Amino acid sequence: MSLTINTTINGKSVSGSAEASTSLLEFLRDTLEYKGTKLCCNTGECGACTIIYNGKPINSCVTMAADANGAQITTIEGLADGDKLHPVQQAFIDTGAVQCGYCTPGYIISVKALLDRTTQPTPDDIEEAVSGNICRCTGYTKIVDAIQLAADKMAGRS
Amino acid sequence: MAKAEYTVLGTSIPRQGGVERVIGAGIYGIDLALKDELHGGILRSQYAHAKIVSIDTSEAKKVPGVHAVVTAADAPDVRYGRTYIDRYMLAKNKVRYMGDPVAAVAADSPAIVKQALKKIKVVYEPLPVVIDQEEAMKPDAPTLHEDMPLPKNLPEGVKVKNVCSYTPVHVGDPDKAMAEADVVVDEVYETKMIHPQYLEPRIAAAQVEPDGRITVWANAQAPFGVRTDVARLLGVPLNKVRVLSTELGGGFGGKASGITSGAAIEPICALLAVKAKRPVMIVLDKAEETISTTIRSGAKMYIKTGVKKDGTIVARQGKVVYDAGAYSGFGAMAGARCTNMLGGWYLMPNCHIDGYVVYTNKQVCGPVRGPGGPQAAFAVESHMDSIAAKLGMDPVEFRLKNTPKPGDKIIGVPKLRDVSLGETIKTAAEKVGWGKVKLEKNQGIGLATGSWIESAGPGGGAVVKVNEDGSVTVHIGKIDMGTAPRFGIPLIAAEELGVPVNDVTVVNVDTDASPWDAGTVGSRAIIVSGTATKLAAIDARNQIFKMAASQLEASPDDLEIKDKQIRVKGTPSKSVPLATIATNAHNIIGEVIGRGYCDNVAMMAEEKARGSSQPFTAHACIVEVDTNTGNVKILKYVAVHDIGFPIHPVAVEGQIEGATAMSIGQALCEQVVFDNNGRTMNPSFVDYLMPTINMMPRIETTLVHGYPGAGPYGAKGAGEIACVPPMAAIANAIYNATGVRITKLPLSPENVLRALKEAGKA
Repeated sequence: MSLTINTTINGKSVSGSAEASTSLLEFLRDTLEYKGTKLCCNTGECGACTIIYNGKPINSCVTMAADANGAQITTIEGLADGDKLHPVQQAFIDTGAVQCGYCTPGYIISVKALLDRTTQPTPDDIEEAVSGNICRCTGYTKIVDAIQLAADKMAGRS
Repeated sequence: MAKAEYTVLGTSIPRQGGVERVIGAGIYGIDLALKDELHGGILRSQYAHAKIVSIDTSEAKKVPGVHAVVTAADAPDVRYGRTYIDRYMLAKNKVRYMGDPVAAVAADSPAIVKQALKKIKVVYEPLPVVIDQEEAMKPDAPTLHEDMPLPKNLPEGVKVKNVCSYTPVHVGDPDKAMAEADVVVDEVYETKMIHPQYLEPRIAAAQVEPDGRITVWANAQAPFGVRTDVARLLGVPLNKVRVLSTELGGGFGGKASGITSGAAIEPICALLAVKAKRPVMIVLDKAEETISTTIRSGAKMYIKTGVKKDGTIVARQGKVVYDAGAYSGFGAMAGARCTNMLGGWYLMPNCHIDGYVVYTNKQVCGPVRGPGGPQAAFAVESHMDSIAAKLGMDPVEFRLKNTPKPGDKIIGVPKLRDVSLGETIKTAAEKVGWGKVKLEKNQGIGLATGSWIESAGPGGGAVVKVNEDGSVTVHIGKIDMGTAPRFGIPLIAAEELGVPVNDVTVVNVDTDASPWDAGTVGSRAIIVSGTATKLAAIDARNQIFKMAASQLEASPDDLEIKDKQIRVKGTPSKSVPLATIATNAHNIIGEVIGRGYCDNVAMMAEEKARGSSQPFTAHACIVEVDTNTGNVKILKYVAVHDIGFPIHPVAVEGQIEGATAMSIGQALCEQVVFDNNGRTMNPSFVDYLMPTINMMPRIETTLVHGYPGAGPYGAKGAGEIACVPPMAAIANAIYNATGVRITKLPLSPENVLRALKEAGKA
């Protein structure tokens, strides 16, 4: 049975139809063509599909499309202001935290959700915020640098 | 060479392609969508070893929405492989591991594909299964490849079976030297299979064009290898196949299909597209990838070393039994490398090591990041600490005692030009606080070293085009997966052509237009494509100078380019814009097209003549062992490397940090686990543990003032070497903390606790 889903993505009202069994990730990528949210493990383990759902970062691959009805969703496509990148996006580029870049959209979303809460994260805050985001390229060292740089920029410290 | 001599080389200008990656643009293979495309899926063997009695696809073909069902009977009777041509793209007569492709379907939706795959009736006759590579060598083991002869170089009288390749490393007279040694240490080490687990799933898409040519899209590290396999396996000439590379979400050797007997999804997809007469795309599920695609093999390593009382190593004897998996794949190359490296990279006057690469009923060995090296280094560098302990010598002092000097030989390298091994050891010891840092209870300090191959592999080319506005387009045959192609390569073209880095574009691989290349593999991107791009840019510059010389009334030798202006050296007022010359070229030579290549035969001959400057490394760490749970926490980690001249230092650090993390994963948690029937017990990310940020220390990277390597401007490859030392560095720190030597990976809580209990330490 097809469902009609009315939702808000990056501040814009959108609607589309999905099966009851469709995941939110499939709905975003395949129906609405928001391809910035990436498919990887499809079991909620790697964080590549992270989006912000009603203010909280979630794995969209293990969330049903039906749950998007009436929700406020932010995807990676909603972060930049025209050509001006969000400070987290810019920090990932500036620190060399983007190698293959496949985990990057989900990572940036998780970090944005953290820095929206606090621009003075402790190392434990950072670890907790991105413990669900696997990166296979960087060994995490430059990602931690990017998070710190973005926090400093957003707090006006640098 | 120092950075000061250059304008942009040696700086860390942000990678090209960064913006599209942070905004979530749909650039990867998985983001592709072809008009009217069908979904493809593969039926995989549910037996690790069986005869195929029959395959009936009639019911599957009747499912509404199915457009093609293919088996081996639909393809030419052609096999593929790298060492041996031993594998069909779709299994014929036999399956040899659980995951071997048997049939494939193209249909309107993924759900219909699944339904149709279930309706394919395959009758199997199960055969005995062999999982362990040593068991596979025994006379009563089942035979995997009835039609494959044993290696021709096997010594007379060696009674083995299922051996895919044999590597002898025989130097001097180790029997005599061993008999004269004061101390002999004899150990056995073992590593397990790990999967590279790049995050982006593998995809293939294919369509037949109106003129009959086949276009294939692949997120593969070796697009030309894909072209070769698609053409061979479908029986069409190379000029009828075009492979377009998408952006890659990680590879680490796992996506180097085409050259390695990979998963063959590209030719299977192309076959489906031909049969269905519609575009087809296959996306592998992550669990499907873990069981079916190429992996880093496990190795069992016997290592025995004789030393004098003063710490001088006099002899080594050993044996490597390396798991090829079900087909030859990359096994022979990786196993040979492992065998050579078991001889170490210290002075070793006498050595006798036999390396056997053996078929088993598991998935196939691929060229995963530093193939063969990390396994050998786990044994060699753990063993070095065991010897030092028996001698009562400090492990750092013992290593320095046996460090080669310029002009010395090490196993596999006839003559060394420079040796930074000692320098990396001393720097790592200093950075970690060796002998100085105060360790608490259950804390330990460990160090391990490594080396990697320099200048061995195929050549490759570059084409550098200077457009009429003075911007530059670079074509190379290597893809970008976060490595040199869009970090260091643009800097090289910018440096040689005097243009801003942002005016250089390195385009992705299109086999119709790009120069042939073996792919982004083997730490070769900066060596091959860097050398070729440098020479191509110089060739383009010479063409520009020739045209500008008449206009400026000067000799081409007196010209230079800076800031997109061609100037007479010493007379900056005499200049002409690069754009003017590049535009004028339309009336003369058409376009400024520079061609360059990395001539690997010449490079290797030069290295042989002048001696090799290997990349060396030393890693050191401090760990804390929880003796109640067996958990190992890394408190500090330093990685010291000589990679010659770092063309893009942040890119080099990124490679080192990433490769270190991958081996920390293999050290502490990663392994593909099998049951006795050959079934993978942990195919999904839920069960296959790999490092998250929680278990990773900050990796403190130091690049020592490097000796020039064989690459452009004295660069050395940096993609793999950092995978070599971590496992032994951590094992040595655990030994230092607990006095317990663990010889089998992974050093997981379960295994560490068991070892501690057996030693009465927990």
